[in-house]
Amino acid sequence: MALEDLFKVVKDRFKEDKKIERKTDSVEIPKDLLFKCPRCGTIAYREDFLKNKQVCSSCGYHARIGYRERLAMTADADSFVEFDAGMTSLNPIDFPGYEEKVAALREKCGMNEAVVTGTCRIRGYKTVIGIMDSNFMMASMGSVVGEKITRAFEYATKNKMPVILFTASGGARMQEGIVSLMQMAKTSGAIARHNEAGQLYVTVMTDPTTGGVTASFASLGDIIIAEPKVLIGFAGRRVIQDTIRQQLPDDFQSAEFMLENGFADMIVDRKNMRSVLAKILKMHNYIKADKIPGKDEAV
Amino acid sequence: MCCISEEFVMFDKILIANRGEIAIRIIRACRELGIETVAVYSTADRQALHAQIADQAVCIGGPRSSDSYLNTRAILAACEITGAKAIHPGFGFLSENSRFVRLCDKCGIKWIGPNAAAMEAMGDKANAKIAMMKAGVPVVRGSEGVVKDMEEARAISADIGYPVLVKASAGGGGRGIRRADSEKELEAAVTAAKQEALQFFGNDDVYIEKFIVNPRHVEIQILADEQGNTVHLGERDCSCQRRNQKVLEESPSPIMTPELREKMGEAALRAARVYGYYNAGTVEFLVDKDLNFYFMEMNARIQVEHPVTEMATGIDLIKEQIRIAMGLPLSYRQEDISLTGHVIECRINAEDPKQGFRPCPGKVQSIHLPGGFGVRIDTAVYQGYEIPPYYDSMIAKLIVKGRDRSEAITKMKVALSEMLIEGIQTNIDFQLNLLRDKEFESGIFDIGFLNRKNLS
Repeated sequence: MALEDLFKVVKDRFKEDKKIERKTDSVEIPKDLLFKCPRCGTIAYREDFLKNKQVCSSCGYHARIGYRERLAMTADADSFVEFDAGMTSLNPIDFPGYEEKVAALREKCGMNEAVVTGTCRIRGYKTVIGIMDSNFMMASMGSVVGEKITRAFEYATKNKMPVILFTASGGARMQEGIVSLMQMAKTSGAIARHNEAGQLYVTVMTDPTTGGVTASFASLGDIIIAEPKVLIGFAGRRVIQDTIRQQLPDDFQSAEFMLENGFADMIVDRKNMRSVLAKILKMHNYIKADKIPGKDEAV
Repeated sequence: MCCISEEFVMFDKILIANRGEIAIRIIRACRELGIETVAVYSTADRQALHAQIADQAVCIGGPRSSDSYLNTRAILAACEITGAKAIHPGFGFLSENSRFVRLCDKCGIKWIGPNAAAMEAMGDKANAKIAMMKAGVPVVRGSEGVVKDMEEARAISADIGYPVLVKASAGGGGRGIRRADSEKELEAAVTAAKQEALQFFGNDDVYIEKFIVNPRHVEIQILADEQGNTVHLGERDCSCQRRNQKVLEESPSPIMTPELREKMGEAALRAARVYGYYNAGTVEFLVDKDLNFYFMEMNARIQVEHPVTEMATGIDLIKEQIRIAMGLPLSYRQEDISLTGHVIECRINAEDPKQGFRPCPGKVQSIHLPGGFGVRIDTAVYQGYEIPPYYDSMIAKLIVKGRDRSEAITKMKVALSEMLIEGIQTNIDFQLNLLRDKEFESGIFDIGFLNRKNLS
């Protein structure tokens, strides 16, 4: 007899003794108690996951986060002043159902478009900031995204300020057709003028940064930072594989692959992001804005 | 049984978040109460007795405790799939994890033990001490709470007199404690205690107290229901310790008098009431040679040595714990409780006393357990069982009850002599040497006496 079955008789004898008819109880674990990592499958308490800035403590996966959370963990409290908050897109190519889709997303995400721009302070250093939010139509780049980013750079050029852009995008917005593709050239032009004015531009690539965004402003930073393990690419993996008829490496289009091949300058964990950005601004001779007592710490 | 409270909730099924003999002990109590049991086990414990005899068994992870018996997510999931609405934590593992208690609350799972707030308050040693002083529980003289700087440390130490102990406020398990015999040694002691405290507990707060020279360790078992009734069940003397690990426990304590028991029992109940404590708990005291006693800490769980009290009082502590968790009032008043005879418990460990008590896991080739009048064995080991190397080395508890201490010692010697475990090394002979020791026999010893001897 296997050792595992040696004591089965104990259970059987006890069952003979039981007379009471039992009701079956059920236990329900509240849905918001746990978080399952989509990358490694580890289950963690949501409370811990949120405390860890939405980074999986097991595999280091940096979950996609909305612009509000990103702003809260990057900028000094109450320092953000938004640009062009009310700007919304038209339907330039009469794409069926586009207006309804955008209206529904505005309602759901509480934002008018896929990027939010403005000025803020990071540990006292004033900067122009842009944050793309993948919850809004996978942060695809349409006319409003292009225009807001262009205007942000123009403001920074005029006011001799740096720009920090958190990129995330599925690419150009097909619902706006050729108008979307034009944003690549428009934003690149504005970035070039900002560069000629001698100002700093830092890109932070977050999950996922792909398509026309990678092919334009996301890759134009003076310093290109990526969050660990995020997806960065232009065309999809399968499209490339079918075109060149070659097997691609496993880590193809990962932040680490980009770093190894010179398309990114550094990979920074979310928990260090704020201090790294502040240090970069300090190194480039930007001056701390007047301190607000109790709100800004030293770098 | 007295009246049944309105909040009475009968459990159908209890999950036991533990292993080894304590899991077996709890399964037995549940069966007597007609409650179904769910065992959880690690992949190293497939053959373990608790996994075999419980009504249901759920594998909760790999051999390492952090993957299984400490894996709270897996344990909650086990409750969900089995419908177990209560958890008994036993001792060790999650038994004093207040965060887990709160998570159980959120899931509607009843914790068979005290509430999280009481647990947390007890865990903060420096503040617990202040609260005890206020409640009139005697404490060792020392700093009132955390020591702010060296200047304060020097002033306090000079006032209470050397030797002093510097202790981590978040401490436990003997970590973060340093002794200073003079002012010269104080700064080094504070620095070292702070460093260790930061390393182990992530908090370098320390406090200072008078070092009691050669004390005894005497603890009081208490029971408190959720209606606020409390009783104490007398003491256990745990002065037989090897490097802060209890080896043998007995009740009554050889130094106990009825007056001292009443005073200590009252103090223990005052300590429990400070935090609105309920369920079973143990209040640990140091007793000096003049029979002054000082509050050390309160353990918010059932303890390894609980059978000593069960044998002395005739009260099943595990069943009481479950009844209390069901919302039932205590079925005993203080005057109903009396201690009879003398009880001794020996912890049998799979370890080699000749090689520095190195743990000796391995296969139990053959085993013979003693029995007879007044002999009790709590174990999870059986013939052919392979003791895994991942967990505590205690494999059995042998408990005997005699009319007096001398009869109990003799009975224990007889029982230990009959106990045979082949295939692994155990401390049975070490325990016999301890029982034969003149100092032990005299009953006059302190917590340091085993460390000063070589009984291996």
